Amino acid sequence: MARSVWKGPFVDSYVLKKAEQSREGGRKEVIKIWSRRSTILPQFVGLTFGVYNGHKHIPVLVSEDMIGQKFGEYAPTRTYYGHAADKKAKRK
Amino acid sequence: MSESRVIVGAVAGAFGVRGEVRLKSFCAEPDAIAEYAPLTSDRGHRFPSVRLTGRTSGALTARLDGISTKEEADALKGARLYAERSRLPELPEDEYYHADLIGLPVFDAGGAELGKVAAVYDHGAGDLLEIRAPGGKPRLLPFTREAVPTVDIASGRIVADPPDEME
Repeated sequence: MARSVWKGPFVDSYVLKKAEQSREGGRKEVIKIWSRRSTILPQFVGLTFGVYNGHKHIPVLVSEDMIGQKFGEYAPTRTYYGHAADKKAKRK
Repeated sequence: MSESRVIVGAVAGAFGVRGEVRLKSFCAEPDAIAEYAPLTSDRGHRFPSVRLTGRTSGALTARLDGISTKEEADALKGARLYAERSRLPELPEDEYYHADLIGLPVFDAGGAELGKVAAVYDHGAGDLLEIRAPGGKPRLLPFTREAVPTVDIASGRIVADPPDEME
């Protein structure tokens, strides 16, 4: 069942605090969080979060098209090691 | 360039009784495996051309040059197929093949070695480099210009500026 709109998106309060501190500090750093359930808000765009996957913190650079998703979606808890073959990586 | 050839697929077994094979493609676009011919196998075969004939569950079906009977196709089961690295198309600036990045040593701005690239991941929020130092814990680095200012495939080195972590 979908969440009621009047409640607004859910975000753990410590995530908001840490994001604000990082933005005020102006330093580039990975903000370690354990809250996979928090929604990605517009004020997080451009920040890098280290989202816990039960094992380690996966760096997640937030971009505009990720708004409204949950942090956990970008830090899978299982890893499949495939072959490199012709796969490409793009430097942002 | 780390290696002269890259693994692009494997033979999963025979398909039918006329010498076709089931082919597992490891390529980003599975059909691209045919474009990288000639392919070689880890058992010493060389296939000048690969003709894709269809799809089956979880694999492609193909006809390999020189394989005309089911027995020959069966004998290839499990063979890994390699393409020459030079057959892969050139990429625009700031795009790199995983095969080229994996194994490259990573240095910090001061010249100290941080480890080697062990894997490249993409979980949907940009690419990540996994860097492993001998005896150390693996470390993930966002593949951005800020965190990885220099990628020099020709001289085989990467310079990284890992971001701090905020607890």
